[in-house]
Amino acid sequence: MLKLATGRLLAAVPLMFLVATIVFVLVQANPVDPAEVLLGQDASEEAINATRARLGVDRPFVTQYADWLSSAVRGDLGTSWFSGEAVTSDVARRVPVTLSLVFGSLLVSLALGVSLGVAAAVRAGRKVDRFVSVLASAGLAAPNFWVALLLAYLFSVRYGWFPAVGYTGPTDDLFGWVRHMTLPCLALGTSAAASIFRQTRSSMIGVLQQDYIRTSLAKGMPRRIVILQHALRNAAIPIVTLAGFQVSTLFGGAIFVEQVFNMPGLGSMGVDAVIRNNVPVVLAFVMVTALVAVLVNVLLDLLYAWLNPKVRPA
Amino acid sequence: MTSPSTALVPSVDPAGDDGGTRETVATSAHVGGGRAWRRFRRNRVALFAALVLSVVVLAGLFAPLLTSFDPNLGRRLGDGLRPPGGEYWLGTDHVGRDIYTRLLYGSRYAILSGAQAVVIALAIGLPLGLTMGYFRGWVDRVMMRLVEAVVAIPAIVLALAIVAATGPGLTRAMTAIGIVYSMVIARLARAQVLAAREELYVDAARTVGSSHKRVMWRHILPNVAPALIVQTTLLFATAVLAEAGLSLLGVGARSDQASWGRMLADARISLNQALWPAIPPGLAVFVTVLSFNTLGDGLRDTFSREARGGRLGVDSVRPSSRPVDAGPADPAAVLSARGLWVEFPWPDGSGDDLAVVQDVSFDIAPGEVLALVGESGSGKSVAALSLVGLVPDPGRATAASVNLAGRELVGLDFEALRRLRGREVGYIFQEPSAALNPAFTIGRQIAEPLREHLGMGRKEARTRALELLARVGIPSPADRIDDYPHQFSGGMAQRVVIAMALACEPTLLVADEPTTALDVTVQGQVLDLIGDLSSDLGLSVLLITHDLGVVADLADRAAVMYAGQIVETGEVATMFANPRHPYTEGLLQAIPRNERRSGALATIPGTVPPPYAWPAGCHFHGRCAYAEPACLAQPIPLVNSGVPARCRRVDELVLGGVRRSDGTTGERM
Repeated sequence: MLKLATGRLLAAVPLMFLVATIVFVLVQANPVDPAEVLLGQDASEEAINATRARLGVDRPFVTQYADWLSSAVRGDLGTSWFSGEAVTSDVARRVPVTLSLVFGSLLVSLALGVSLGVAAAVRAGRKVDRFVSVLASAGLAAPNFWVALLLAYLFSVRYGWFPAVGYTGPTDDLFGWVRHMTLPCLALGTSAAASIFRQTRSSMIGVLQQDYIRTSLAKGMPRRIVILQHALRNAAIPIVTLAGFQVSTLFGGAIFVEQVFNMPGLGSMGVDAVIRNNVPVVLAFVMVTALVAVLVNVLLDLLYAWLNPKVRPA
Repeated sequence: MTSPSTALVPSVDPAGDDGGTRETVATSAHVGGGRAWRRFRRNRVALFAALVLSVVVLAGLFAPLLTSFDPNLGRRLGDGLRPPGGEYWLGTDHVGRDIYTRLLYGSRYAILSGAQAVVIALAIGLPLGLTMGYFRGWVDRVMMRLVEAVVAIPAIVLALAIVAATGPGLTRAMTAIGIVYSMVIARLARAQVLAAREELYVDAARTVGSSHKRVMWRHILPNVAPALIVQTTLLFATAVLAEAGLSLLGVGARSDQASWGRMLADARISLNQALWPAIPPGLAVFVTVLSFNTLGDGLRDTFSREARGGRLGVDSVRPSSRPVDAGPADPAAVLSARGLWVEFPWPDGSGDDLAVVQDVSFDIAPGEVLALVGESGSGKSVAALSLVGLVPDPGRATAASVNLAGRELVGLDFEALRRLRGREVGYIFQEPSAALNPAFTIGRQIAEPLREHLGMGRKEARTRALELLARVGIPSPADRIDDYPHQFSGGMAQRVVIAMALACEPTLLVADEPTTALDVTVQGQVLDLIGDLSSDLGLSVLLITHDLGVVADLADRAAVMYAGQIVETGEVATMFANPRHPYTEGLLQAIPRNERRSGALATIPGTVPPPYAWPAGCHFHGRCAYAEPACLAQPIPLVNSGVPARCRRVDELVLGGVRRSDGTTGERM
């Protein structure tokens, strides 16, 4: 397992390098001069040149790239063009918010999706199955930001059960953290739960046709063990693959949900930076999100290997 | 596409879709255009979704005719946040603009934005994917690395990064979304082309000298099209979502562009005062996305053969009141079945149920090996599985009586039958590698029934499992017990299955084609093992096989099945020497023999007809060399003129058997 983990992590390095290159080229393509934006149109030539020098955008492209990359590798993501704040410390403050949201939603969606998917699969074609399947189609189509708006109105504005906006760290106030995370996680988890439900249902139906299920029935194993151990263990392999895609999707969805609930996560930082073309922050936003998404997938690869003995290295 | 090595890179479907893309790739079996359209027309839900979408399009198209309001100007000051009703059908937003009007105009933005993103995605992704798939080699490798790197970034994040480069605005944002989706299209097209390349006709076209371009457009694209149509529909749905989302974030539509996302952004501003402005645009996005998704699912069902699923396939044997054509059960028998029927509904749900097993009765004495013999399709496996409630879903088994060592099984529920399965009856199946669960060690799989039925602890069960592995001839069991099924050869895996079946020392062993899937060289070893074990343990065995060599080797008595019915029963030696049913004769003639090397091997012409084609009279009639018109007139009883053969000409026919040359074992292949 350790060998596999190292291998996967090493494979992630060139990938992240490629991601970094693509993103850097992309973001630099904006023809707008940041110095002009910062200083306004009436600024003097010298002031603009000075600002360009301060931001480092007067240097050749390759130098900028090399400088950014070597600093980023060491954990220095530069400074915001507008606030002058170190981007790394801003990111460090925001990562826990987004991670709480993404993993909370993943937990919600796995719990809901897998349990309902199993229940529907063993009753395939019956009323319960059809009902939940229709529900899943609805969940898949419901925009998470709309669900977020509705939840925010209903449970915060109307009934005041949950706070409508903001974030509290789990170490400051665990209960407050749970209260702040509940609605956003539900809103973000809805469509992921629907996806996971559909995958669970279809792969369970496939697995239940397999010979080894008949074998375990012929051995006289109770239904519970046949379904939850013999079948689900094998059905889980594509579910884990899907969960990997979902993490990436959830990172995207978190941007909207953070916006609706005014949460100080990576998403709100990214949106603000994109609108103002705050290049160092945009780069940090994309790279950090991609890095976390890639790392989560490495983790899921290991889980995959645990589930599927055939891909385990001997 | 879902191989573990690529799981490192999320092959993100920005829809967060259910893996439908991959499903399509896996199962698409192309259906001709006309048939596809007929199938689609039958899918009412998808048709309804298409109808809803046309309403959305028409609403956008004729928006100016459907409302008297301006989408961007309030009619008068102070009309902000009016509730629905009266002049304003759906109320007004916080600056007094009519929500109904904005909703109508919003469908223009939704459809146009969606179309823009999808067209861009296809324009970039399709040539990219086709090129990668068609040329393969280094072109593919280099481009694929780039695509992987791009999709490692969550779709919306990447879209935002592109917007950062181009600046905000609805058209720019949707261009960004289109570029992101082009990666999905590229991967899909590449996978489809790689699959299509495997098909012979592409090679054939190249051999006759078609140009690259021609091959691509004439031969590959039509094949790729179904999956692309489905994916495009689904992408349209996510593009509508993305438009709304990006406008909500403020990087899409401006305030004077009445898009649904913009309406939601405005509704959010006034959320503390009113909810209703958020309802219509959200609902519009929801319904549109739902319709696109449903349409996409419908198209997928149209183009690909549906993977038929079933429930956990178990059903108890229910009591039957049908007449039984057999004598009373032998009270000394370990297992006696009387009047077993197994029926399946027609696949499309119409018509009467099909009886694939009809009035099957037999007895197995203690220590006896009874062979149930017949070609595939004769119903022998289904009959044996049904006895202890393992009839595959949606089958239904009924019987007058199934008696296992003095216990009546008919009418028992799942739980009662479960306690007998594995405990009193052990099962061996045809395909050992499929019969073992790939996710668990064999040690665990053997220990399971021990712990379940005999209440053994973990340690005790493991010790017993080691003994069992040694008993079935697995070399150095201690080294193999923690191995997984894929680490065993077919013969060794079948030994493991045998160990599992015998773990709880059952009284009856059901062996369903135990050697058919094995190499010829190990078939004999496994048969010998079953024979040794049954005589050592005094086991009764129900041996299901199509191989008369196996019957001669192992069985004491045989029951020959044809098309759902037993056609002849008897002692193996007698039956081989002197068959009484033409089908038995045919089977015996078809055995390859060492002593008669000359001449072509005799076979029975044709195959077992499908259950719906079984006549009321003799089922074998169509393939029988001795058939007469009268054979079809009425059902033939099992016993004729005192002979247990389902043939009305049993007295007149003189049939040829085989004589065992050495008097002990018959001729194995």
